[in-house]
Amino acid sequence: MGKEIFIQEKRPHESGVKHVSGYAYYTDDIFEPEGTLYGAIGWAKKSHAIIKKINLENVIKSEGVIAVVTSKDIPGRNDVGPVYDGDPIFPKKKVEYFGQPLFAVAAKTTELARKAVLKAKISYKTLKPIVEIKDALKKKSFVLKGQIIKKGDPAKKIHEAANSLKGNFTTGSQEHFALEGQVAFVIPEEDSDFKVYSSTQHPGETQQIIAKMLNQKSNTITVIVRRIGGGFGGKETQSFIFASICTLLAKKTKLPVKLRMDRDDDIIITGKRHDFYSEYEVGYDELGVIEGLKIKLSARCGFSPDLSGAINSRALLHVDNAYYLPNVSIENYLCKTNTSSSTAFRGFGGNQGMMVIENIIDNIARSLNKDPSEIRRRNFYQKEKKNITHYGMKIEDNIIHELFDKLIKSSNYKSRQLDVKKFNLNNKYLKKGIAITPVKFGISFTTWHLNQAGALVHIYSNDGSVHVNTGAIEMGQGTYTKIAQLAANELGLPFSKIKVTATRTDKVPNTSASAASSTTDLNGAAAINAIYRIKQNLASFVKRKYGIKSGEAIYENGLVKFKGKSFRFNSLIKEAYLNRVSLSSSGFYTTPKIHFNKKTFLGRPFLYFCYGAAVSEVLIDTLTGENKILRADILHDAGRAINTAIELGQIEGGFVQGAGWLTMEEVNWKSNGQLTTHSPSTYKIPAVNDMPKKFNVEIYKYGKNKENVVNKSKTTGEPPLMNAMSVFFAIKDAIASVANYNTIPTINAPATPEKILMSIKKLKQKL
Amino acid sequence: MTSNTIKFVHENRIVEIKNPEPNETLLNYIRIKLKKTGTKEGCAEGGCGACTVVLGELKNKNINYSAVNSCIMFLPTLQGKQLILVEDLIYKNGSLHPVQQAMVNYHSSQCGFCTPGFVMSLFSMFKNHSRFKDSIIRDSISGNLCRCTGYQPIIKAAKSLNNKNKIDHFNKNKKNIINMLEKINNQSIVIYKKDKKYFAPRYVQELKKILKKNIDSHLLSGGTDLSLKVTKERNDMNSIIYMNSINELNYIRNNNGYIEVGATTPLIKFENYIKKYYIDFANILKRYGSVQIRNVGTIAGNIATASPIGDTLPILLSLDAKVVLRSIKKTKIISLEDFFIDYRKTKLKKGQFIDSIRIPLFPKNIFKAYKISKRFDDDISSVCASFNLELKNKIIKSIKVAYGGMASIPKRAKFCEKILLNSSITEKTIIEAKEALEKDFKPISDMRASGKYRIMVAKNLLHKCFLEIEQKKLIRIDN
Repeated sequence: MGKEIFIQEKRPHESGVKHVSGYAYYTDDIFEPEGTLYGAIGWAKKSHAIIKKINLENVIKSEGVIAVVTSKDIPGRNDVGPVYDGDPIFPKKKVEYFGQPLFAVAAKTTELARKAVLKAKISYKTLKPIVEIKDALKKKSFVLKGQIIKKGDPAKKIHEAANSLKGNFTTGSQEHFALEGQVAFVIPEEDSDFKVYSSTQHPGETQQIIAKMLNQKSNTITVIVRRIGGGFGGKETQSFIFASICTLLAKKTKLPVKLRMDRDDDIIITGKRHDFYSEYEVGYDELGVIEGLKIKLSARCGFSPDLSGAINSRALLHVDNAYYLPNVSIENYLCKTNTSSSTAFRGFGGNQGMMVIENIIDNIARSLNKDPSEIRRRNFYQKEKKNITHYGMKIEDNIIHELFDKLIKSSNYKSRQLDVKKFNLNNKYLKKGIAITPVKFGISFTTWHLNQAGALVHIYSNDGSVHVNTGAIEMGQGTYTKIAQLAANELGLPFSKIKVTATRTDKVPNTSASAASSTTDLNGAAAINAIYRIKQNLASFVKRKYGIKSGEAIYENGLVKFKGKSFRFNSLIKEAYLNRVSLSSSGFYTTPKIHFNKKTFLGRPFLYFCYGAAVSEVLIDTLTGENKILRADILHDAGRAINTAIELGQIEGGFVQGAGWLTMEEVNWKSNGQLTTHSPSTYKIPAVNDMPKKFNVEIYKYGKNKENVVNKSKTTGEPPLMNAMSVFFAIKDAIASVANYNTIPTINAPATPEKILMSIKKLKQKL
Repeated sequence: MTSNTIKFVHENRIVEIKNPEPNETLLNYIRIKLKKTGTKEGCAEGGCGACTVVLGELKNKNINYSAVNSCIMFLPTLQGKQLILVEDLIYKNGSLHPVQQAMVNYHSSQCGFCTPGFVMSLFSMFKNHSRFKDSIIRDSISGNLCRCTGYQPIIKAAKSLNNKNKIDHFNKNKKNIINMLEKINNQSIVIYKKDKKYFAPRYVQELKKILKKNIDSHLLSGGTDLSLKVTKERNDMNSIIYMNSINELNYIRNNNGYIEVGATTPLIKFENYIKKYYIDFANILKRYGSVQIRNVGTIAGNIATASPIGDTLPILLSLDAKVVLRSIKKTKIISLEDFFIDYRKTKLKKGQFIDSIRIPLFPKNIFKAYKISKRFDDDISSVCASFNLELKNKIIKSIKVAYGGMASIPKRAKFCEKILLNSSITEKTIIEAKEALEKDFKPISDMRASGKYRIMVAKNLLHKCFLEIEQKKLIRIDN
């Protein structure tokens, strides 16, 4: 290996120019062969029912319809469940949520297909649905058995503590609302093979699921993804059913088929973020230091397990956030409800777990009439002692103290807190609030075997240009750009000589989903490994031909420098080719050090932690509950960032998405299980004026990953979302001012105007 | 002159489409027929801005550029206009337009799917304004959703345009385009296609004749609500009469005592005008919908739709607005209050159309309006409240209070008004007036808000109105 050169640059997204000019192709933009058909899905209008009869006569007769598929057309596995069964493509007997697909059509146009599916006549025997978490708890309706974990003796410690508090708290669901909805495009090929273009975060599993559905070998299915128009977890498993149905239609018609979901159908059919209901009891001393904590954590998982096991597990692994919990017990319930199957969403349960503890700490501070920032700091994990998590992992990279203190200073938190109080004294109806919250988020898939990645790198002999493929999905997070930067750096070449092309299952097999914030960590390392192997080929060739002893070379500025001899990169490549040296290699990477026993809930599930903190200041109207983020200051750890512009974008965007989750984004079901928020007119994601009026975002400049991660960087995928917790607690702070900070307000997330007003009303009644 | 061929300008030439499909959206035409896939579908209901394109229209020998949602526009309404797509912004030599370049330089795209829509919204801003203040930038992109960036880099890109040369290839080619637009801008459209009919008359006289023969037609104005029948409900609209080609009805007049707004006047034009009379009206219009919606939507459309949550309606009710209805033979002026019958039902009969709206001016009155919604921009209100009152020696001499979102129609709060009329503003009066609202309204619960919240906020907004009067200042979070 040559000397280590770190990258730290601000480089535009590799597709930036194409994005702005309309020439970046997404799945729906791929050139269609003549004869392409278009699909639509017919779905259930009941949330819990026995299917009596599906009459598709009028669907088949409908204008432009070429084929209809039902469960009978599935030769193999009628399920898209990623870990467990339970997600039928088309259920045969029983409908389990409002919107569950029952059949699909292929027609001459998308419009005709969508019209046709409305003509089905389906008769049901209606059953009573379970919609709410509390109802599922009462009826013991679960998708999986939840875990009970315990460290120390919390009951005793709570009993003995100087102070204790009890309460409950809810965080809401969230619709992913990637601007590109669910879409697949499938082309039949010879030998019953299929080429599948899918907007997915997980081509590897898409391939396997389609193969199983068709009873074919995986080598007959090729899944291709160049880029997707946003994922956020919503295309980690929820894309499978669309790719599967589209393939089924292509198989039946023997023609290319495109299945692009209408936005409403998309939101109705697919799963969303788990909402969590928690009950807690906490004991703490006079200083607010937690001594014992008991939590009951229940999640609405929807009708099937999907990824709920791993998501709940991550919630349990993050109920500590940045705080040392000496005695803690957690009971976890994975509630089965007649709603779409709750799924991965940026944070993957971690943020839901963190909100539980943040709310508890906030309440502790308010019960003691102390500044919550002090109580937060007092409970932080320490460096030499109090550094073992409730799952037995020693935290070795803790920087939360430094980062938190730095932000308190740079944001003028203390003096602004006084200003806020002054404002509140002088204003009866408008109130301000301010809060600072920390983030500690563990990086790695908690399922051990997923922490692997492959890559394929070619160097072309005529011009030395480099072609890179990995298992990474470009979904806006800039992973293609960062991987190309890493490759360019590794080869000492300009960025323009590297091309990362579509991720394909026939180039890099057995890929993990682009998820868990690990995409660049894993795939970037695999690409570097492939390059390393090519470099070894070159080194042994140079050694052989020129008699140079050491194979070590420095790749820099288009030159390859061996001890005593230097080559121009292109000349060396050409020469190597003429001497029959392989200029192509696969690469592989596995995350070191990690291990976790799911039964005992002990081990080291994470390679490292990401840290961050944010201060938010808000204004609320106590007559209407309207609210506004006046200012947010974020300081976030990105290690030694590969591309500061891209990381900054992730940090800002994650914050706004998190603020949406905790304020305005409200998923709503009727009591019969029908989703009522399924379009931009009923479900509101943040728009431009919801961004903080003042928005100061900084990357922690002393950041450096202690572990051996590419460029010593840290990922910025999910963690920045949790900086938005500060918005929620600033709102709570503003509400508390109504009762002169003497009473603890109760408010659940999302803090919509309605919830804020009701919380104020309750608080006033207590006065 | 009538024709069944629509003509529009695209890529510096006149495009003619004979007998276009009346229910085909402009977006589908662009993506499927033109095979230009830069313009994206995000929601097919005008709620996300991914499909934004810019239309050039002839106005006083100049071109007016407006951003519109192509997903809820029907192809034939392109008649007489210039179509500009994201691909058309690129210079012939391949270099990017200043707006596009700024978006690259400031890292304004992440997944990139919403990006073409943002580019087009900013392009129309670039063409329509000479300086790009923060408020102008925010208004220009308030109808474009981005799920990745959090908007900061997009705002930065837009701000940087202040330092750029404003001359682009559209300026250089303007004369040429104007000539073409003048050439095609003189025909009424009549299309008969299978079972579908489409008419775009240019004069009221023509409209009357068409109405007489096609009494079951849908009157299409901005279409920001009506078009969803096709894009969402998957119904056909068999007969459409497009109103917005009738220039006669595109006007705003001050008629001594009242403002008269022609039925086809776009909201964006109206909001600029009404600002000086009723500032709260203009402010709510900005939040009524995005620029893309306000560029095509009209007050007449909002009135005819008669939605209980149409934001202009409670305002117009409290201002005692009148609707001028015309039919083939008669003209009838009725009070807006009498116009709404039930949920989305009005007195507008077949064969009738809205000619104009008359909005009285009350120079001595206090006028205030409030909109409450989960999101500030481009959201549907859970409650909208409007107050119009005359105070003399602290006595309320006249008052009209109206609410949206509180009943199946936008409605006056008559019990509440009764308490307030001829009373002095005291705490007691306000408490009584607030209680009276419970007699006026029994609001429902839905995904936007619970009935309990609605009535509570309705009361508090009344309270707020009088607090603001008393304290002579606004008590608002967006102030």
